[in-house]
Amino acid sequence: MKLIDLAAIDHEEKSAYDIINSVCDELGFDYASYATTHPVKGDVQGYANYPDEWKIHYGSQGFHKVDPTLYQSALSIAPVDWGRFNHDDKFNAVFRDAHDFGITDRGLTVPIRGPYGECGLLSVTKDCSDTEWKKLKKHVMGDLQLAAVQAHDTVMQSGLLAKALYLPALSSREKEILQWTAEGKSQQDIGDILCISHRTVEVHMRSGREKLGALTTPQAIGRAIGLGLIYPG
Amino acid sequence: MIIVIDGINQHKFNHVLDDMYKLRARVFGDRLGWDVNIQDGREKDQFDDLHPAHVVSINDEGDVVGCMRLLQTTGPHMLADVFSSIMDGEPPIRSSQVWEATRFCVDTKKLGRGRGKNSVSYVTSEVMIGSFEYAQEAGVLDAIAVIDPVMNRVLQRSGNAPCDYVGSAKPMGKVVAMAALMDCSDERISAIREYADIDHDVFLTDEQALERFETGRIAFQQDATTANLDHQPLTELEKYFVEQMHSATTKTEVEAVLRLIEALSDRFTPEQKTALLKTPRAFAHEA
Repeated sequence: MKLIDLAAIDHEEKSAYDIINSVCDELGFDYASYATTHPVKGDVQGYANYPDEWKIHYGSQGFHKVDPTLYQSALSIAPVDWGRFNHDDKFNAVFRDAHDFGITDRGLTVPIRGPYGECGLLSVTKDCSDTEWKKLKKHVMGDLQLAAVQAHDTVMQSGLLAKALYLPALSSREKEILQWTAEGKSQQDIGDILCISHRTVEVHMRSGREKLGALTTPQAIGRAIGLGLIYPG
Repeated sequence: MIIVIDGINQHKFNHVLDDMYKLRARVFGDRLGWDVNIQDGREKDQFDDLHPAHVVSINDEGDVVGCMRLLQTTGPHMLADVFSSIMDGEPPIRSSQVWEATRFCVDTKKLGRGRGKNSVSYVTSEVMIGSFEYAQEAGVLDAIAVIDPVMNRVLQRSGNAPCDYVGSAKPMGKVVAMAALMDCSDERISAIREYADIDHDVFLTDEQALERFETGRIAFQQDATTANLDHQPLTELEKYFVEQMHSATTKTEVEAVLRLIEALSDRFTPEQKTALLKTPRAFAHEA
């Protein structure tokens, strides 16, 4: 089982790496990483913006084979605070070493399950006080969920086969709402037009955006038009 | 009180999960007549193997009295794979900020009417509060729940009305199933809390939950050893009393059973009688 740094081999497709960097810049974390296990070969592949010395040490010690932030977090549906592992010997072994590289054991991992049962993991760390950590978590958890699903889909879509399987399947509601948005209608307007609550419009919109791998609604509209799913307004 | 059991801590709670699967078999198989797969008195499906989060309500005696199962909509889940007919052939919602809630149930046998702590209404609200708060902390904004029309009315009555429905209601076996949307908002959580008059933190830590379950089991074992001293199989009459005790829901009903035992005490050895009077719970388990 190998540990593969996708950023090192994949020069064209750097957007997952961009996502983890922006997680640090915009949400205020020290380091971030995305990892997934190859469904066939079992290799751990992903991106991390940890210092190179730590990445090398991590790989050479085979930590990717035991690290509970990877294997345990994949068993949860909710983000896992690494505090849950503080009695875990393997966790302590990995993070005793991490400490020597200036990396804190204060972190959390957001697991994302994909439609084929595969799992992607977005991890973030920040060296800070209990209070600050608690406040930060409350503030950014939604954004982390979004970043995690984007990173996962970006990596999954980088393969050709996966690309074919991952063609966004938008429901007619989602298409309808994107179409009305392309016509310049607000969420409230669309709710009134379709006789549903604006909250429901928001749920379908969010689902549509994620299926299209879009960060914003305008981007989703652009992609949906590009794919011929809706017409230009 | 609520304990959330997921793939990380499930090895500590095998006994709780076992009781939960039994409760689900009683509710979905026996009472509601859903088309579910029951083996050895336990209702379990393929989604339980995917490490969902189980939000479980445990009473003071350590018994499982309510539960609900949560899955991410980004991965395999029931609306995508089993209840897809509800979606009228449309692809399901997929978002890291929407979770799916299924298999919601409470133990109507152990819980009574009214609004008190051991009532159906209280435990329903407790499970809902636990689920929404757990989801909210995970950065999840909405939940999509597969429910039946009865549950739908219960939700509407308890400060927890769905804000919308997706797809359309479809017959599933003997019942109708529908997909309800519920926002995981502060407003919803405080409305449920107000309705059920619950203002404390509903979550138990792993340690507290284990302690609660252990206490229940020790009490049960002590009862069982002092109660069933002769270790003989229960007689028909004993079994009858056990059933009566089991189905008694109010204090008056319990007292009536106790009076009946007293009245028929010449039919028992003194040990049997003390055992029956003292520890209906110990026997109830054997019947």
